[in-house]
Amino acid sequence: MGSIKASTANRVTNLFLPFSGPPKGRSVHVRRVSTVIASSLLFVAGCSNSGVKAAPAQPAADPSIQISTSHCGEGWAHPAAGSQTLSITNTGTTTADADVIGVPGGAVYGELEGVAPGVTRSLPITLGQGTYAIRCQPEDGALIVGPSVRVAGSAKSGPAAVPVTYNDLYGPTREYQDYVAGGVKTLLARTKTLVAAVDRKDLRAAKKAWLPAHLAYEKLGAAYDTFGDFGDAIDGLPQGLPKGVHDPDFAGFHRVEYGLWHGESAASLRSPADRLLKDVKGLKADLPNEDMEPGDLPLRAHEIMENTLQFELTEKADQGSGTSLATASANLDGTRQAVEVLRPLLKSRYTGLPQMDADLDRVQKLLDAQKHGDSWTSVAGLGTSDRESIDGAVGDLLERLAPIASICYPRRTS
Amino acid sequence: MSGYDRRMFLRGALATGIAGSVAGVAAGKAVAETSTTPEAGAPPIPPFHGPHQAGILAPARRRTIVAAFDVMADGRDDLADLLQTLTDRARALTSGGIPEQVGITAPSSDSGILGPDIPGGDLMLTVGVGASLFDDRYGLASRKPSRLTRMPTFPNDDLDPAWCHGDLSLQLEADDDDTLLHALRDIAKHTRGGMQVRWRMNGFSNPPRPTGTQRNLLGFKDGIANPDATKAAEMDRRVWASGKAPEPAWTAGGSYLVVRLIRMLVEFWDRVGLDEQEKMFGRAKDTGAPLDGAHEQDAPQYQNDPEGLVIPLDSHIRRANPRTPQTDDSRILRRGFNYDRGMDSVGNLDVGLIFTCYQQDLQRQFEATQKRLADEPLVDYISPFGGGYFFALPGVQDSSRSFAGFVKV
Repeated sequence: MGSIKASTANRVTNLFLPFSGPPKGRSVHVRRVSTVIASSLLFVAGCSNSGVKAAPAQPAADPSIQISTSHCGEGWAHPAAGSQTLSITNTGTTTADADVIGVPGGAVYGELEGVAPGVTRSLPITLGQGTYAIRCQPEDGALIVGPSVRVAGSAKSGPAAVPVTYNDLYGPTREYQDYVAGGVKTLLARTKTLVAAVDRKDLRAAKKAWLPAHLAYEKLGAAYDTFGDFGDAIDGLPQGLPKGVHDPDFAGFHRVEYGLWHGESAASLRSPADRLLKDVKGLKADLPNEDMEPGDLPLRAHEIMENTLQFELTEKADQGSGTSLATASANLDGTRQAVEVLRPLLKSRYTGLPQMDADLDRVQKLLDAQKHGDSWTSVAGLGTSDRESIDGAVGDLLERLAPIASICYPRRTS
Repeated sequence: MSGYDRRMFLRGALATGIAGSVAGVAAGKAVAETSTTPEAGAPPIPPFHGPHQAGILAPARRRTIVAAFDVMADGRDDLADLLQTLTDRARALTSGGIPEQVGITAPSSDSGILGPDIPGGDLMLTVGVGASLFDDRYGLASRKPSRLTRMPTFPNDDLDPAWCHGDLSLQLEADDDDTLLHALRDIAKHTRGGMQVRWRMNGFSNPPRPTGTQRNLLGFKDGIANPDATKAAEMDRRVWASGKAPEPAWTAGGSYLVVRLIRMLVEFWDRVGLDEQEKMFGRAKDTGAPLDGAHEQDAPQYQNDPEGLVIPLDSHIRRANPRTPQTDDSRILRRGFNYDRGMDSVGNLDVGLIFTCYQQDLQRQFEATQKRLADEPLVDYISPFGGGYFFALPGVQDSSRSFAGFVKV
């Protein structure tokens, strides 16, 4: 895997499945371990305990609620209001998930994933007056809803949301893929302009063409191995390469950027430029063959800007052009796209949406203020106050984007 | 913008963090009754609510974080929201309890580094405001504490702007670093859009070696002659702002805070003879006694030594506190911590003092003292490089009030 940190994911999900070639270059876009499909995607291999015989159910700590095909929700003898910790025991024979849901409506107040047979786990939860039930999801079987229980009292319940299903995510995912496909066309056209300038040895024109082409890529919202090895090839950084900027595997936009802004000759730049064009063409050609994992889309909502904060606002990705804030702005476009396609799902589920929108606008405004015609203030050139404003606004935005991944995590409801 | 309630800070269902629910309060109460005593002899941390902020007079804990923030809140209402959020977090973090459960609607509300049930009574927290908060951004000029200015550059200073000043100050104190870091992480999470850390220094206090006042990193007992914080009349006279003209009324119960980040050139110091060191301080290094006395609490008898033959006239203690009727009202309440932040570029230890002191009047007290200390022999071995002047806000009296009081007045 082309990443700085060795990923320990045994179920890495790429937005597009990576093509299988030897890893080239290194990307700082470390894909975080995704557990999205751990239980929800049908029977993914991995740590499945299906088939493992259940240990005899331990005498349940008082009170322990059972999850199993035959005893789902049994044992919830004294439902109470307030902040509390429920004890959940899997008395079945297969690993199962457990939800505490509101009845009717099915809003989830709390969930436990992957409770192995014979295991008791605690579920901290806050319940208010209302009717609830335990929903059991055996890994290899149908979903079962346990008996309804009434909770009396005046306490306010914790926040809940109606689950988002895989089905719900297919439409948004298709929309996002269409956006990416359109963006890749722009990317290719602009990369051709850049490479043509290098080919005719017009480095001034090449410098001018570099940013629009790079931004076309950054707008796609690539983050965390989104495009698999194409991401490394097109937008990899020298960090993690043994010879750094002089490493033969340093390729893509940042390689060309390094040359353009460090006095490299057109002749010498030709090879990296051509290689970039080849990889962009490769990405475009590969897109129709790749299906985006719907469960990854909600992660994109905050991961794109996580990368922006980590690599652009620190100027770590910059190889001389000083355009990190332009990249940040393009990343914000990509983020908006991810949010927009998910918005219909979020409207009824995410109470922080208006503040998130305000934060998107705020970051946009702060970044726009650093654009001067075709040029941008470099991060190093920002005054303390401007830098703090941008960092703070992006940080706040991230706090408000992060819940999207939790809320839109694909879950089964039937 | 309709639908946007102006609250830029994470609150409500999204992330109130530690539950303000019935259970949370109950947990806090339970903890308060059985407050963990960090060390034999260390008194329990006072409750958050009170007329004064607890961290001003209460004995120092073992660890601290001192930080200054620049505020980016967008207008006065947002500033009030920011201070309300800060209050909410302070209240929750000091009282402890089980963090709010957010189900599937968000990542966990708490970092979890203190476990699933946050211990209460382990944290002290002191919030201050800098003169810059009263500039034209928020229209608060008329509410500025009358004696609050920007910290000037003193003759022996070598100030780094990146380590100076700030719109807000925050001092966290606890006996363990994880308690401090948990609190700072939580506060930052809830206030990112409204303020950013401008500078931050971690510090520690030393245990008595072997008894009495703690030693600084120059090996001398430091803070022996502090006013007695248990005497209310003394504190009224030296520490608390009165809220009487020319001070705005809201300042009553607050106190002016000076923070000075002072590098100590300890390698150089260690190459200085003991006799010279003791003459610079005016105290014996081993016992802490004034050079004309036997015990650290002995009062130096300057009237018997008018020429400074025993305790030199330019020694630190004699300049800092000449013990004359004329200089008595310049005494300050010191609350120093040591810092250690690694090595410098020539391989020396980058260590020193986070000097903090509280007073009623910056000019009458700290600045008068500082003027007397100008060019004292000790200045060759220390280098003040940062800090600032702040006004530590009055205490939050009860759960219906907040640090935002002076903004909303």
